[in-house]
Amino acid sequence: MIKYLPLLIGILFLSGLMVSLIYPFLKKKLGWVLSLVPLAVFILLFTVLGDLKPKSLQILPSGFELLEKISFTFRIDGLSLVFGLLISGIGFLIVLYATWYMKKYERQGHFFTYFMLFMAAMTGLVFSDNIMVLFIFWELTSVTSFLLIGFNHQLEKSRQAALQSLLITGFGGLCLLFAAILMGQIAGTYQLSEMISQNIDFVNNPRYLLIFILVLIAVLTKSAQFPFHFWLPGAMEAPTPVSAYLHSATMVNAGVFLLLRMHPLLGDTLEWKYSLILSGVITMFIGAFFSMGQKDLKRILAFTTISALGTMVLLIGIGTPLSMEATLVFFIVHGLYKGGLFMVAGIIDKSTGTRDITVLSKLWKHLPVTTIFAILALISMAGLPPMLGFVGKELVYVAKIQLPGLSWIILPLGVGANIMMVAISLTLFFEVFNPWSKKPDVSIQHKEKDFPWYFLLGPGVLALAGLLLGLAPEILNTLIANALYVTKNELVDVNLLLWHGFNEVLMLSIFAIALGVTVFILRKPVTKFICSIINWLDNFHLPTFFMTVMNFYLKNAAKNTQRIQHGYHRFYLMTFFITTLVIISFQINWYLGDLVPFNGFTPINTNIVILVIVASLAIIFAVFSKSRLSAILAMGVVGYAIGLIYLLYGAIDLTITQLLAETVIMLLFVMVIYYLPKFALLSSRKSRARDIIISLSVGFFITIVVLHANTVNFYEPVSNFYAENSVIKAHGRNIVNVILVDFRALDTFGEITVLTLAAVGVFSLFRFTVKKEKNNINK
Amino acid sequence: MRNIILEKIVSLFLKVMLIFAIYLLLRGHNNPGGGFIAAIIASTGFVFYAIIYGTKKVEKMLHLSTHQWMGIGLLLVLISTLLPLFFSKEIQTGLWIPSDFPVLGLLSLGTPLLFDTGVFVTVSGVILTIILSIMEVLEWN
Repeated sequence: MIKYLPLLIGILFLSGLMVSLIYPFLKKKLGWVLSLVPLAVFILLFTVLGDLKPKSLQILPSGFELLEKISFTFRIDGLSLVFGLLISGIGFLIVLYATWYMKKYERQGHFFTYFMLFMAAMTGLVFSDNIMVLFIFWELTSVTSFLLIGFNHQLEKSRQAALQSLLITGFGGLCLLFAAILMGQIAGTYQLSEMISQNIDFVNNPRYLLIFILVLIAVLTKSAQFPFHFWLPGAMEAPTPVSAYLHSATMVNAGVFLLLRMHPLLGDTLEWKYSLILSGVITMFIGAFFSMGQKDLKRILAFTTISALGTMVLLIGIGTPLSMEATLVFFIVHGLYKGGLFMVAGIIDKSTGTRDITVLSKLWKHLPVTTIFAILALISMAGLPPMLGFVGKELVYVAKIQLPGLSWIILPLGVGANIMMVAISLTLFFEVFNPWSKKPDVSIQHKEKDFPWYFLLGPGVLALAGLLLGLAPEILNTLIANALYVTKNELVDVNLLLWHGFNEVLMLSIFAIALGVTVFILRKPVTKFICSIINWLDNFHLPTFFMTVMNFYLKNAAKNTQRIQHGYHRFYLMTFFITTLVIISFQINWYLGDLVPFNGFTPINTNIVILVIVASLAIIFAVFSKSRLSAILAMGVVGYAIGLIYLLYGAIDLTITQLLAETVIMLLFVMVIYYLPKFALLSSRKSRARDIIISLSVGFFITIVVLHANTVNFYEPVSNFYAENSVIKAHGRNIVNVILVDFRALDTFGEITVLTLAAVGVFSLFRFTVKKEKNNINK
Repeated sequence: MRNIILEKIVSLFLKVMLIFAIYLLLRGHNNPGGGFIAAIIASTGFVFYAIIYGTKKVEKMLHLSTHQWMGIGLLLVLISTLLPLFFSKEIQTGLWIPSDFPVLGLLSLGTPLLFDTGVFVTVSGVILTIILSIMEVLEWN
């Protein structure tokens, strides 16, 4: 069965690409058909779950190799199963949810294309065994999420948020690429399984620090860790199904996944511990803290996601088996409640047309079923029994207490974050759902019974799953144990329990809940206080700062481009000549003894002297002529003279080509220049002096180079080979032609292609721009 | 104003130029000549024709537009490049038809000649595209 996984990932990609083809036939049913694919993945993974052994690992080569060593090999182990199940399961629910949510949107086909590709990339990411392939999928998630966040591209805000997320996560992706290359060079392979089985020692490698920093940047950017956290609240500009998916199981969790994947290779060093703990703690606290100050439902949820991601990064930084166990459980917990809550936010948005918690009120009356699901999810978020959230939070506390030395800072901040979570959960309930609220009723556009059942299915299934797993957490035991084996490389007994009895962890929980309720009761002053802090922090508003940096960069680039691409042909030529001059004079100084080599010259030929005199006279005439046409004609004389010089040395092909090309050029010039007015302005004395100096010195140095060209041969000239083989191998006696059409035919091919492009350019310039202007004049 | 003598001369000139171009193209492999030179000569003939008769007439005479001729030329080059693949040789290997023509004894038929013809057609197309566009826009003739 499991053999089909690579095939299914391929089908996921295909289904995304096929949307535009099948959309006309399916229309409204598109979502239903598409949802079958993630459902199939989910079922497939679920069957594996049944006979999962703690140490089992399966490598599935797909037979497709991008480059040598970069083959699309997939691995199925506990870790990828945990992520894969959530990605496909939540993905299935959200596709169904989106069929109704996106009903009124135009460009539904585009949405589902991006969405399926995003899902496929994320699935590929967690299952890939090759770090290069992992990187490719990683970048694909960045690109597809860019398209999804910017889906409402008519809104400036949406475009900006999309660009911001792409630039930040794309930058992280590049860091990951460098890290992957470095790791591949050290290990000699890009396969994770081989790296682990060969016990490659990255940690003591002198390049470890570099690799670690690169991976760290990739993770911090992708998982929205401080100080890169600001793109995530911006990303809520995406349609709600996208936000739900982005926050719960994909995208931001990819960073967490990468850390878990890399832990057996790079983990458990001092750098790893301190940097992850530091950024995790800060992110965890500020995310929870700032969520209190927000008014938009989705924005509140976005900040709680940042906090949750911080918690996971922190736990991975701690790195004990228990903390890893906590990370995995917390990931599942978070995926379940966050996916549900975002979908609830979407339902509320559809039903009332607003997401502002100060406006929303008494939704229990209008959306009873949704409210039940929301409450279950909120309980899980607050970490109260009997939801899985409680199990997760207890484990997190245990892991935090366990860490000696640092727990004095982690624990207060952790408890603080938890207090905020309890408070925000209570606030959300009382502001939005509470039926006894004194706030005025919010206007309802759609009642709950207007919604089809599959619109409520997503939050329902996720909330009930959280409840079920909370009541019987031992279901997860083998899965977590297997995932732990993959990340820690050791077997750990996992025994998840809802009720641990009275211990210090429970005391901490009760303490946090009590304080959370207190904060909730005092929410007005607290919110005010947090808002004032946010207002103060807005002076250092990171998104604006980021945009300023980007704009500065763009302006600078434009300025520099203008400096080089100024559009004055004479200055281009001048730059070109002066550069050549400088390079040549340096070369001559360094490599050649004599300025002019006085040997190897043939005696002077009278014919050539005559030609040179004619050419010189023509040049002098061209320089002093005051009409363009006569100057061009004089230049033509120079060209013909050069052609004749070729003839005197027996290069008849060159002569013909030179003469003909000269003729065509003259024709062109005459045609164009005929219409130009007389010179209105002759160049000033100063610029003429400058031009004379430049042209004389260029001519002088080029002459010296030509004189030397005959005597300096770094390599055996290739011309002998052509002369010897022209008749034997190419059946031709005209060497020039044989070179053009046989020996170096590829060059010729390239040249005529370029010529064609030039002709197309000229054609479009003339016919489209000039004709348009003419039409305008005629009108 | 029509100039009958000039018109006659130019149409004769075009014929001579075309024949000369084809002659140069065919003998190019062994003697001075070749696709590029032939192309310039042929297109010079067309350009003079266009100066007297107008660009529309040339375009009609060519049957296809000048871009299409460029494309055909590139296609010929591509074919001559890829043809050896079907004879299990590397691309651009010269293929030759064993020939011993009674009159054109010097002529050797093979992919290089096809290649050169492609160059001829492409370059003619390029030159004509550029010059005819200029003539049309600047309203020469």
